[in-house]
Amino acid sequence: MLKNILAISVISLLLNVNIAVSGVVEMPILSGVGGDFTAVDSNGNTVEFNGYAGNVVVLAFGYTSCADICPFTLGYLKQLYNKLSSEEQQKVRMLFVTVDPDYDTPAHLKGFLGHFDDDFIGISGTKEQTDYIVSLYQAEYNQLSAIGMPTHNIRRVQPKLFEEETDTKEDTATLFSHSVSIYLVDKEGFTRSVEYTGTPKVEFRDKIKKLLRE
Amino acid sequence: MKNTFIGLLIGLTVLFSINSHADIETDKFQIMLAPAVAKNTAGYGVISNTGDSADTLLNISCDGATVMLHKTEIKSNHAHMHHMKNIIIEANSSLVLEPMSYHLMLSELSDVFFKDRETVTVVFEFKHAGIVEVEVPIVSVFY
Repeated sequence: MLKNILAISVISLLLNVNIAVSGVVEMPILSGVGGDFTAVDSNGNTVEFNGYAGNVVVLAFGYTSCADICPFTLGYLKQLYNKLSSEEQQKVRMLFVTVDPDYDTPAHLKGFLGHFDDDFIGISGTKEQTDYIVSLYQAEYNQLSAIGMPTHNIRRVQPKLFEEETDTKEDTATLFSHSVSIYLVDKEGFTRSVEYTGTPKVEFRDKIKKLLRE
Repeated sequence: MKNTFIGLLIGLTVLFSINSHADIETDKFQIMLAPAVAKNTAGYGVISNTGDSADTLLNISCDGATVMLHKTEIKSNHAHMHHMKNIIIEANSSLVLEPMSYHLMLSELSDVFFKDRETVTVVFEFKHAGIVEVEVPIVSVFY
């Protein structure tokens, strides 16, 4: 009897140790993901990513003509950001890097992101700068239409051919496919975790808090 | 007598097929309040076919915007967007429009889409059920 109790106790202890070990949130540096870049923020200032050192950075890619996934992602990030205290928010930078810098000017990004949170920072720049940032994060984006998609085609179930249309920049909404990852970067600029909108917000918040404590 | 029976059978079959159109119901439709500078926004909700035969969504329209059915598809961590057309909703099935999946893609937005709690009429055209009009609120919701 005593032998059985002892055996059960040892097993329980081992299980508890196992649970404790599996409960540890490991956030190793993700080598080859992220790095320094130069771009323009939504206030029109030239910025270097290393300039955000000392803050935890949450970074996502997208574009403002996106109707579904980008507003959804920004809504998720808004709720995530709201789960932080104001003191914590001061040490966190939420970056939204546009993959459509031709359309998403700094001022336009500022207006769009303000719908979600005035603290959110838009990152724009030249196409070359955008491509470089995308490559740093091993992300991807592709323009879905070779030219701007005339928005007045969208009503039609069977749209006209694009070449039948005369495009103007004002009348078009270029569509993109793009990576949906959300990158969590520590105060030294190292990417420590790659999340997505399926990550429970509390879990994501706790990872941010962990990096803030380091 | 035999011819009369066959004729009656054909007549009943035709009559049955005419009356056996699918029934369409919609639920929880809402359109996301567009950011002030936005060109596009999205709408979500559920379209249910409560009938006993399949129906096809032929077209969608909305006053004050152009609209089409899109589907976001995530493959290898990459979001792709597809323009869906002639979607068939099977009998006793639903088409769920939700973020990161099927959604109404609205563009060329009139002022109403930038006003919280306004409503717009979205018109769905089905092959069998015909025209289904839905009053949809504009809502400021963050998922």
